[in-house]
Amino acid sequence: MNKPVYYINGVGSISPQRTFNNDEFLPEISSYIENKLDCVLPEFKDYINPIQLRRLSRMLRAGLSAAIICLRDSNNQQPDGIITSTGDGFLRDTNKFLNEIFEFNEKQLTPTYFMQGTHNALAGLVALTLKCKGYNNTYVTSGLAFETSLHDAMMQLNADPDKTFLLGALDERDDAQYKIHLRTDNYKKEKINSRSLFDNPTRGTLQGEGTCFFSLSGQPGSNVWGLLKDVKVIHKPENANEIRSALHEVLTANDLRADQLDVLVNGVSGDVIHDQLLAEIVETELSFLPEVRFKHLCGEYCTASSFGLWLGLSILKKQVIPASVLFNGKKPKNPIKHVLLLNQYFGRNYSFILISSC
Amino acid sequence: MQSVEELIPQLKLLIIKQLNLESVTPDAFDSDMPLFGEGLGLDSIDAIELIVLLDRNYGIKLADPKEGRKIFQSVRTMAEYVQQNSKK
Amino acid sequence: MSPRVFVTGYGIISAIGNGSEENFQSLVNRKMGYGSIEILETIHREDLPACEIKLTDAQLYAIAQVKNFSGYTRTALLGVIAAREAIHRAGLSQQQIRKAGILSASTTGGIRELEKYYFELQDNSLDGYFDVFSDTGNPGEHTERIAEVFGIKGYLSTISTACSSSANAIMQGAELIKNGIIETAICGGSESLSKFTLNGFNTLMILDKEQCRPFDKTRSGLNLGEGAAYLVLESEVSMNASDKKPLAEVVGYGNTNDAFHQTASSPDGGGAYLAMQQALKMGSVKPASISYINAHGTATENNDLSEGLAIQKLFANNVPAFSSTKPFTGHALAAAGGIEAVFCMLAINKQMIFPSINFNQQMEELNIAPVKDLLRDVDLRYVLSNSFGFGGNTSSLLFGSVENE
Repeated sequence: MNKPVYYINGVGSISPQRTFNNDEFLPEISSYIENKLDCVLPEFKDYINPIQLRRLSRMLRAGLSAAIICLRDSNNQQPDGIITSTGDGFLRDTNKFLNEIFEFNEKQLTPTYFMQGTHNALAGLVALTLKCKGYNNTYVTSGLAFETSLHDAMMQLNADPDKTFLLGALDERDDAQYKIHLRTDNYKKEKINSRSLFDNPTRGTLQGEGTCFFSLSGQPGSNVWGLLKDVKVIHKPENANEIRSALHEVLTANDLRADQLDVLVNGVSGDVIHDQLLAEIVETELSFLPEVRFKHLCGEYCTASSFGLWLGLSILKKQVIPASVLFNGKKPKNPIKHVLLLNQYFGRNYSFILISSC
Repeated sequence: MQSVEELIPQLKLLIIKQLNLESVTPDAFDSDMPLFGEGLGLDSIDAIELIVLLDRNYGIKLADPKEGRKIFQSVRTMAEYVQQNSKK
Repeated sequence: MSPRVFVTGYGIISAIGNGSEENFQSLVNRKMGYGSIEILETIHREDLPACEIKLTDAQLYAIAQVKNFSGYTRTALLGVIAAREAIHRAGLSQQQIRKAGILSASTTGGIRELEKYYFELQDNSLDGYFDVFSDTGNPGEHTERIAEVFGIKGYLSTISTACSSSANAIMQGAELIKNGIIETAICGGSESLSKFTLNGFNTLMILDKEQCRPFDKTRSGLNLGEGAAYLVLESEVSMNASDKKPLAEVVGYGNTNDAFHQTASSPDGGGAYLAMQQALKMGSVKPASISYINAHGTATENNDLSEGLAIQKLFANNVPAFSSTKPFTGHALAAAGGIEAVFCMLAINKQMIFPSINFNQQMEELNIAPVKDLLRDVDLRYVLSNSFGFGGNTSSLLFGSVENE
C-alpha cells in the first residue's frame, strides 16, 4: 500500500501578530512588554454576520473567523468534518462563570458564559455555521491537543482520502490563569519585551494565545500549502534519547536524512529548564539547519504548535524566511522542501511535525 | 412602584446590556416589537438570560422557561409583568 | 476488510457502585444513585439532588491505591479506579500496559479542585498544598495522571465533546488500533461533580429536582451524576497472541453533528439518526439485527423527543428494545458514554436488558416506549449505545456479541 498523502489546502490564522491576511507574511511585528500576548483581531464583520456576532465571545469570534479565512483560502466551502483542539478552552468565559458562582453565591447565574466556556463550543459553532452534519470532534490533550487532532484527521483520511476536514486549534489567554501559573514558574517573573524572549535564560515563558485552522484532504486543492508527512508525540520523555529516537523514527519513516531537511521550526519557549531537552537535540542532531523560532511572536499555549505549523507552511509556500523568525542566520537551501517542527509544552509534552512541499 | 411607561426605557437598556445587542439603540427598539422570532430574533438561551435579568433586577423568579413565552412577547408585556410582580 | 477490534476488559465506578459487579447488582435490583449531595460543597446540596458517589476524596485515594494528597483530582482518582478494574479484567501484561494507549474523556477535568482553591491560587502571598492543583482546570491533566499511575506510554489523548465525549474516546481507541498505531487501548472517560457543572446546568434550566424520567411524558430534566468507566480494546493481532476470549467486538460507530443549535438537539433528531445509521453501515448490520439500544435518554424534554423520533425513523416498524440507564447513574456527562458502554458489555455477557426505571406515562409524540422491567435470557447479538451532547455532537457505538464464534 502506498503511504497516504495529506494535503494542506488552506490555512487561516489569528494570533498576537497580524496573520489573518494570507496575502501577507508577518508584515509587521508587535512587541509585548507585560509577558502577555493578545491576538491582533481582524474586522469580524468581514467573516461573521451581525446576528451571530452578538452573543459570541472574543475568541469564539476569532476562531470562527479563522475557520472562514481557511475555507475561503482553500476554495472549498463545505468540509466533510470538523476537528478542533484546545488545551485550556475558553478560559475567559470559564473564569467569568466561576467568578459569577462566587459573586452571586451560586444563584442567578447567566447561561452564556457556561455555554461558551465548554471546550467543544468552537467545533459546534463552526458546524452550525456551515451546516456541517459530518464528523465532529474536539481534542483537549493538554500540550498535545493539536497533535492528537492531527492524528484523528489523518486516520479519517486513511479511511476516505476524498474527504476534506477542517482542523482548528484555539487557546485563550487569561489573567487568572496567568497568576496561577506564575506560582509554578511557568511564566517569567521578570517583565521582558516579547521580542527578546530568547535573550533571557531564566525560568518561565510568556503567556500567549491564538487560533489556526487548516483544511486537510487526501486530494490536492487549488491552493496547496504543503504536505503533512508525519506527526509524532512524546509525553514526559525520561531523557533526550527518547526524543532522539523519535526524531530518527520520523526521518526513517519518511525516507529522509537529517541533512535533507531544509528548515527547523523550533518550539522552544524561552524557559531555561523546559527547553533543555530540545536544546540538546538541536545541538547534537540538527545544528546545521536554518533555525526558526516562534514563541516570541505568539507566546506559549497548549496548541502553540499550530502557530508553528502555520509558520512552517508559510515558509514552504512563500519560500522565504522573515528575518523576525530566523534565529541562527543560516541561509536555507533553494528551494525549501522539507520543514521539521519540534515543540515542547511546559517540559511535559513534546512533538514533531514534518511537512514538505508537493 | 414604577409605571409601565417608566419601566419600558429601563428594561430596554437592561435587555441591550444583558443580551449584547450592541447594534440596537433604545430608540430603534420598539416597545411592541416581538422579541423572539421575526422581531429581534432572540432564541431559547436569550429567554433564560431574560429570566436571570428579571431575577437580578426585580426579584422575580420564573421556575419554568415556558412561563417566559407569554411574558417576553415584547418589551411592553415584560414591563406589564414586572409592574405587577416586582418584589423590589 | 478493516481490521477487527475486540473488547477484552471493562471497569467502572459510578453512583451505583464501585466496580462492575456492584453496578450490575444495582441495575438488577433497581437501586438508584439519586439523592441529596453530601460530598461536594455547594449551596444546592438539597435543592439540586444528583447521583453522587458517596465516597470522600480520602476514601477514593485509598481505593485507587494512590499516595494520599499527592495532587490527584477527584476526576483523576475516579479514572484510576475504573481503569484499574478494566486493566485487571483484561489481564494485560506490564509490557502491554506500557505500550497501550489511554484515551480518557472529560468535560471539565479537575475544575472541582480549581474552583475550590480559585482565589488562593491567584494570591501570590499564599503558599500551600493547593499548588498541586494549579493546572487541573485543564481537562487533559487527568489523563496524564492516569497514565502515570499505570506507566502507560503508548499513546495519550483526551477528548471533550460534552456529553458524547467518552463514546468518541472509544471510537478513537478503535481507530488507533485499526490504523496500527497501538495494539491495546484503554478508553472511556471520567467526570466528577463540581460547582461549575452543577450551576452551569442549573442556569440552562434543564435539571429536574425529582428523579429523572427518561422517555416519560412528565419528564422535566436530567439529574447530574459522576463516575468513570473504561473499556480495554485489543487488536486481532494482540488477541491471537494470547488465548484470551474477547467479551465483545466493536463492530461500528458513527459520529456526526446535529448542526442545529449550540445546546439543543434538532426536533427531528437529524444528527442522532445519522450517527446510528453510520454505525450500522460501518458494521454492515441491518437495523432489524439490533437487539437493544442503550439510549442517551437524559430525560430533558428536548433530548428524548429528538432521540425517540430518530429511533422511530431509523427502525420504522421494527424498533428494538431500548432503555435509558440515566436514572441509575445520573448523567455523568463525559463519562456517560463509557458508563453506558460498560452496561452494554454487562447486558451482552449476562444476556439481560436493564430497565428504564421511572418510566410510567407514554409520550404523546412517540409510538414507542422503553423497557420498564429487567429482561432476562435475551440473546443480544448487536447492541447500540447512543451519546449526544451540546455543540450538536452526536455519537453512536455498535457492539457485537462474540458468543457464537
